[in-house]
Amino acid sequence: MNPAVTDATDQPVARLEGVRHRYGRHLVLAGVDLNVARGECVVLYGANGSGKSTLLALLSTRYAIREGAYHLDGLDVRHHGQEARERLLFVGHHTHLYGHLTSVENLLFFSDLRGLSVSEPQLRRALDTVGLAKAADKPVQWFSAGMRKRLALARMLLAQPLLLLLDEPYSALDTQGVNWLNAMLTDYLNQGGAVIMASHDPERVAVLHHRPHHLARGILTPLDTPRPEVA
Amino acid sequence: MFKAIYRIAWKDVAGDLRRRATLSSMLFFAISVLVVFQAAFEPDRKEALRLLPGLLWATTLFTTLVGLGRVFQAEEEDGAFEGLLLASVPRGVIFFGKWLGNLLLTLLVEFLILPLTMVLFNVDAWAHIPAILAILALGTLGLTGLGTLLAAMTRGARSRETLLALLLLPLTAPLLISGVQAVAAILATDGQVAPWLKLLVIFDVVYLAMTPWAFGWLVEE
Repeated sequence: MNPAVTDATDQPVARLEGVRHRYGRHLVLAGVDLNVARGECVVLYGANGSGKSTLLALLSTRYAIREGAYHLDGLDVRHHGQEARERLLFVGHHTHLYGHLTSVENLLFFSDLRGLSVSEPQLRRALDTVGLAKAADKPVQWFSAGMRKRLALARMLLAQPLLLLLDEPYSALDTQGVNWLNAMLTDYLNQGGAVIMASHDPERVAVLHHRPHHLARGILTPLDTPRPEVA
Repeated sequence: MFKAIYRIAWKDVAGDLRRRATLSSMLFFAISVLVVFQAAFEPDRKEALRLLPGLLWATTLFTTLVGLGRVFQAEEEDGAFEGLLLASVPRGVIFFGKWLGNLLLTLLVEFLILPLTMVLFNVDAWAHIPAILAILALGTLGLTGLGTLLAAMTRGARSRETLLALLLLPLTAPLLISGVQAVAAILATDGQVAPWLKLLVIFDVVYLAMTPWAFGWLVEE
């Protein structure tokens, strides 16, 4: 465990207690407990199909919590899903972008659906920060996977969420992109944000102060060191 | 909230005008239907006037089905539907945004096909165009409302267009009958339009009150 990171505080950003989830008769999560504090990064390791993405889908409110409890910023997410969504941002395998819209239009769409009042110069500054200034007015359908990922992450700069959920954030990013993402996440954590990410890439995550966890057979276990290949 | 509804509708309408996908398909389909009807019946002016309400609503229904089949097409790309559901707005707002985008495209097609129908069938009802358009618009509110919900329901189905038609046709039959009768009453000299308009309003209110709630329930996983 990284010594610089404190354990959960009395006021965790996210708190999961005994969360279970099943697809039909198949139990994917068999009672997950997790506390994530401000400025803390939790990394989920585990084999393919171990339930990392399901756990992130539950944390993002995409799937409803049916067994167990999930509190985000003190809110019971079961009954305050919409308020919870105001406080989190999920960037998964899909970037949720519309190909026929330009980068600026996609960010404008995101801002309006989140109720943010963001000016066009602010949108362009965010695009500049993620290295997409030159592609600001181009339709997203022509973007590479890495550019799409950068654009999806630009939303973080606009929304400033309390909790950032990332599913394999380093995929499709080149070395420069990985460095840029880690720098951005470090800033975000220093400002008090919280991150929960699923990854298969401990080397790239190593730069971040984080608490590694391992998910196997539906049980989430804290790790002293990352063991991503353990099934 | 209204900004979010506007933005979703804008995304759909602007996207369609850029890609010329749904609107052009709807227009092409509507024109084809009208031409086939004209060739099949070859009605004289009096007969055409009698057929006009049914023709208009049949064409509206078919073109609406074409539009509804594509209403969630943009959301199939890159998990965009999931992105919509992760927005911090009520589910009803998402529904109304999608509905409004589809409604605007359908109204645009209706606005274009009405004069075309008059010309094709040589019907002299130009003085009634505003009233007929108003009735079409009134019926389209409910038709597209229920249709948007059913499009969301059948979104993941393999033969979604067939399923959509199978579900939409029986459920909107009362609304369509009211629409046909209302247009017929406008065209007749001594027609009673008010009762049919009341029925159209009732269907619109019921459909548009139920569908956002049903949509919210439908998308929960």
